[in-house]
Amino acid sequence: MKKSQKLLTLCLMLAIIFSGLFVGCTDKSTSDSSIDGKEIVNLKFSFWGSPFEKQAMEKALKDFEAEYDWIKVEPLYIPSDYTAKLTAMIAGNTAPDAGYISDSVILRWAEDDLFLNIFDFLENDSVLRKEDILDTAFYNWAPDKCAGLATAQEGFALMYNVEMFQKAGLPPAPTTVEDAWSWDEFVEVCKKLTIDENGKNATEVGFDHRKIKQYGLQFDNYAGVYLTVVASNNGGWLTEDGKDFGLNKPEALEALQKLADLINVHHVSPSPVQMKSLPDTSIALQTNKIAMTIGGNWSLLDFAQQDFQLGIGIMPKLDSCKTMVLSGGTAIFKTTKHPEEAWLLYRYLANPEVSLDLHAGGLWMPILRDWYTDPQLIGKWATGNDAHPEGYTDAMMNQVLNNGVAMPAFNVRNYGQMRAIVDPALDLVWLGEETAEEAMKRIEPQIIPLIEGYYTN
Amino acid sequence: MILKHTKKGATVEKLKHKIKTGSSIHKRETYFGVLFALPVILGLIIFTIGPMIASLVLSFTNYRGTNAIEFIGFHNYIRLFNGEDVFFYKSLKVTFYYVILSVPLSLLSAFLVALLLNQDVIKGKALFRTIYYLPSIIPAVATSMIWMWLFNPDLGLINAALSFLRLPTSNWIYAEKTVIPSLVIMSLWSVGSTMVIFLAGLQSVPRSLYEAVVVDGGNVLHKFWYVTVPMMTPIIFFNLIMGCIGAFQAFTAAFIITEGGPNNASLFYNYYLYREAFQFGQMGHASAIAWILFVILVSITAVFFKWQKSWVYYESGGQ
Repeated sequence: MKKSQKLLTLCLMLAIIFSGLFVGCTDKSTSDSSIDGKEIVNLKFSFWGSPFEKQAMEKALKDFEAEYDWIKVEPLYIPSDYTAKLTAMIAGNTAPDAGYISDSVILRWAEDDLFLNIFDFLENDSVLRKEDILDTAFYNWAPDKCAGLATAQEGFALMYNVEMFQKAGLPPAPTTVEDAWSWDEFVEVCKKLTIDENGKNATEVGFDHRKIKQYGLQFDNYAGVYLTVVASNNGGWLTEDGKDFGLNKPEALEALQKLADLINVHHVSPSPVQMKSLPDTSIALQTNKIAMTIGGNWSLLDFAQQDFQLGIGIMPKLDSCKTMVLSGGTAIFKTTKHPEEAWLLYRYLANPEVSLDLHAGGLWMPILRDWYTDPQLIGKWATGNDAHPEGYTDAMMNQVLNNGVAMPAFNVRNYGQMRAIVDPALDLVWLGEETAEEAMKRIEPQIIPLIEGYYTN
Repeated sequence: MILKHTKKGATVEKLKHKIKTGSSIHKRETYFGVLFALPVILGLIIFTIGPMIASLVLSFTNYRGTNAIEFIGFHNYIRLFNGEDVFFYKSLKVTFYYVILSVPLSLLSAFLVALLLNQDVIKGKALFRTIYYLPSIIPAVATSMIWMWLFNPDLGLINAALSFLRLPTSNWIYAEKTVIPSLVIMSLWSVGSTMVIFLAGLQSVPRSLYEAVVVDGGNVLHKFWYVTVPMMTPIIFFNLIMGCIGAFQAFTAAFIITEGGPNNASLFYNYYLYREAFQFGQMGHASAIAWILFVILVSITAVFFKWQKSWVYYESGGQ
């Protein structure tokens, strides 16, 4: 074989191998055409969510393109492993211009200097102003530095099957703070709704808690739920000064124990183990396996798909009546070449008007104050549709507006690392193997070294 | 191609070809051999060795994927060993417990099943072999979903059967004490591939040896203990090492079924590594965790190789 032939074969082989390798690594360059003298700008916007959310978001982006015809937005839909994939994009220098950021990383990434300060835009903007936005919607990594606004708002309330209340002879759950159940009243209602296989409820003599057919209340062992009860008892993740482990203080311990007692003392809630035998909450409500749940606002979307009449009630009152507020954030990356256009898009998406499907459908709550106070705007999402039952505006909407407490993800340093220790410890509390006090005392030495206060201090 | 070339070629070429020694043919063979193996070699270098070196370097940094890399010496390793990272020793304990329980049990059950399926008296051997092998080709996710239902304390088949037999039931994967044994039971379901290797080994034991035992007046037990077991030791050894490596890297069950719970009782080392890297984004720290596992596996394998000299029998004298 001739040398040149040999060389050719070798080159061909290498070409085939490397073309395969590098074809995935090319980056589309921005086009240089223009409309009406304005140069076309290409943006990339990344987000996660259900197929329903994808559809709504893509529609919003299309509408945006129609309004701002020189900006093209490429939707980057990443339904799973969002943070890991985004991390890879950032490391590979191909981060999008803007996008959703998980609450577990947004502030840490802000400290890594990945995002533009939203306050810089808000200061000079006449359409969207800082005071228009709910206090619980800011991800601030320093007093005057905002990594991003919450994508939406999500609060917690009691959600129940109206028919099951009627069958038990109970009046509808209260919806306002003034009328809210005390904890004991709440336990009593849960007992009346918990029924064993012989048809006896938990207030009756002879009730067999090992053979429960219908639970009065179901709640997920998820931080948003237990912190809502903790906050209502004036407790928190950290103490107010940010120097101590709040969950190991009497007010928090009392709240956690009250929740655990619903499972292990009053037998009105399924334990995490018993929960494995129950279907999805929406189906469990419909099929009378559970009467009531502590639901996040987003559950309304699922519940609306099921065939039962949904009622909503305000969380029971302890010292006060609060709800945690949570949401992922949306941020603009510092690497964007078009910060102004990215802001136009950002501002556009912050307006609930453009994603009404998601708001009226029950998935999201707006981040803009007007949408909680102006009856006309409220009518667009919170009333007069299938997803939002009567009483919603009191039990959920006003609660988020007036008594909303931002989740620790919005302000506590090292929250993710602490939660990785707290949640497994609480597993044992829900299972009744430890008291709240024992569990929190046991992990306190592990938590203390992680406490670094609040971001805004 | 070569044939064509010589046919076409001039007489000079032919002459040259004749003169060519074996070494040049050898050279050409090497050239093509390497050429055709190139995709695999490059793949190994680019996708395995490269990332390994990168992760070794990263294990000495504070890299999170989003920050500027800063070398921090042995800090990641120190944090692990001095217990600052509270999950390290916990996950090591959990993983060792799983390995110690699952490896011997899976070897034993695979060996027993292989012995059974090697008996001439069994009818429909091919069918049984297929049935026993089947679970190992079912995707791990599907297996996990099935076992989640089997283990369900209230509706699960296992507890239903136990209570029917008036035996005590268990919370299986949902209780701290029973979660690892439950996962071991689940892993026994898919010993098919280990069993196939044993089966192949059993079939290669020379019949003459068994006949010799019969001639000497030995019974079935003698045959098993003095022929089967010694002849199988290299295969047992191979399966032991592979089983250990596999068990140390257990991941799917923790990822899909238990999420490391309850109370971190099933926080497998690999799941912990995954969580540090992809949920908490601590790439440098996770690289250190990965390298510690690598060192553990290499040492255990080395110890086994030393140990095998005292019990593994090679017909060829270990060559």
